[in-house]
Amino acid sequence: MMRVHDPGPAAKVAALVSVGVLAALAFAGPVLAQDGTPTVTAGLLQAALVGLGYYLSNSPWLFGNGGFFGLYRPLVAGLFVGIIFGDPVKGAEIGAAINLLYIGFISAGGSIPADPSVAGWVGTALALAGGLDASAGIALGVAIGLLGTIIFFTRMSVDAVFAHWADDRAERGDITGVSRMNWLPPQIFLFIISFFPATIAVYAGAPVVQDAINNLQANAPWVLKGFQIAGGLLPAIGIALNMRFIFRGSVIPYFFIGYYVSVLSGGAVNIVAIAIIGAALAALHVTFLGSRPMQAKGAEA
Amino acid sequence: MSTETMQGTGSGMGAGGGEGQKVALTRGDVQRSFWLWTFFSHANYNYERLQGTAFAQAMTPIIRKLYKDPEEIKAALKRHLVFFNTEPNVGGIIHGAVIAMEEQRANGADIDDDAINSVKSGLMGPLAGIGDSISQGTITPILLTLGIGIAAGNPTITGDGNPLGSIIYLVLEVGIMLALAYFFWMQGYDRGRVGVMELLRSGALDRFLTGAGVLGNMVMGALTFQFVHVYLTLHFGIPAGGGNVTDFDINRDLLNAMVPGLLPLGLVLLSWWLIARRRMSPLWLLVVLVVVALVGAFPIFAGPDTPFGCESILNAFFQPAYGANGALGCGAAPPAS
Repeated sequence: MMRVHDPGPAAKVAALVSVGVLAALAFAGPVLAQDGTPTVTAGLLQAALVGLGYYLSNSPWLFGNGGFFGLYRPLVAGLFVGIIFGDPVKGAEIGAAINLLYIGFISAGGSIPADPSVAGWVGTALALAGGLDASAGIALGVAIGLLGTIIFFTRMSVDAVFAHWADDRAERGDITGVSRMNWLPPQIFLFIISFFPATIAVYAGAPVVQDAINNLQANAPWVLKGFQIAGGLLPAIGIALNMRFIFRGSVIPYFFIGYYVSVLSGGAVNIVAIAIIGAALAALHVTFLGSRPMQAKGAEA
Repeated sequence: MSTETMQGTGSGMGAGGGEGQKVALTRGDVQRSFWLWTFFSHANYNYERLQGTAFAQAMTPIIRKLYKDPEEIKAALKRHLVFFNTEPNVGGIIHGAVIAMEEQRANGADIDDDAINSVKSGLMGPLAGIGDSISQGTITPILLTLGIGIAAGNPTITGDGNPLGSIIYLVLEVGIMLALAYFFWMQGYDRGRVGVMELLRSGALDRFLTGAGVLGNMVMGALTFQFVHVYLTLHFGIPAGGGNVTDFDINRDLLNAMVPGLLPLGLVLLSWWLIARRRMSPLWLLVVLVVVALVGAFPIFAGPDTPFGCESILNAFFQPAYGANGALGCGAAPPAS
């Protein structure tokens, strides 16, 4: 929302940690390799298509919404990566598994907790190329999603330059120039910082990651277990970020109602049913209490 | 384009002055502006202005049509290059209202820069709140949950994964978002500043925000149970007589027996408290949780034969409490040795 979160030290630490994790994966492969038989099939063209998909997911070209609300989601990315690698069913499965991490993902005020898109595109590609399955995909999704925030923060910082270029055009009354400054230079820059890293990560990373995961499975399964456990913890962040905006005032009890309707049904109540109950309760709440209690005012944003 | 040039020649000196010549926007102009925004709202997203340049780009068809005097054009461009940030779909009601204001201004109404800026900066915060809780907070997780259920393979329905889940999500999500965006944009333009302000004053938006809050909280509560999985892997055997040993699982036999679902609920409330109240960065929290998970998985802490791969994630998605094996992802679970 209005407050712009400065990524500050957290971003640096996250970057360090994720670089460390990936470096560890990279070294774990060769060092622990016992049988040198990688069966990886990520061609340059496939890698480039994945890179292109990742760029598109951040780009405006698909009606805006088709990017951020479409290709950006690992569920969708997984399907397309699956098509690229010739196995849409497996791709969608792995994408869906990675998307579990980011179920409550919210981007607000120029801040993201992780990059679901790179986790979906590159994570699914590495998993498919390496013949890994969904739970290994989740492990990759955690590490890569963390790393992807570097691209987001770089973009958010550098793009400010183009706003000043737009100022110059405005000073000259150049309408087309102002318009162009919003879409052309930032997109060239975004293409460079998203397409190439993702392509290289898939092309060069596939054998390494396959080796690493296989060896971790053989020698230190607890690391993969750890990432899978993390997969059960991390959705809490997205949910908490959503709650930052809505968990307040008189509507707080509905969170517990939603939770315990699910608990009592053992998870058997479909999410659409929950939403319908929620909409009915919303109508009742507003009818009888109006908006008095929720005093939002964006204060907590 | 032809109408534009025709009107352009006619209104050369009229813009801003308002003597006689009226410059009217067509539906097409407003729609062109809508599509520019819908496509490019985040094309140059940056820390300094956020969607500032995108707002200016969206206004270019309007500026081109309404103003012919270079000074007016310059002023209008600068007016719309300032900091702006809202939710792009629902927030379009602001753009609609601003377009209506620009149109009145070009036709001589007494609307100065401050009036336009105050509409933009006054509305963008509340509408970001409403918009985010509707689009990212409610519609997206609901449709994602549906799509994931189909794509990951629900053992009780299809068994195997089905890529149709991704397609259903994509089509519904993008369709709903575009429809919402167009609706709010046109509402803004048709109501104009007065109408939008009235809408705010009448409390309709507040009621809407509260209703969205009810629905959003319900959905977040349900998602917490479906997707957040926290286990304590403390087991011990209790002698049950006759040489038998009853397995006592602290998670199942103590915590869930007393307060069902306590741990996931606790983790989400803790995360919310840290982020919203203690202003902890979500990135820090992510790092901490990954570290905790890795430490928790270290052989000393983890139970000897707890199949996390199945129980903690995907199987739990469909059968939250200690489901059977066989769902997606279990194949990769570390072999129990």
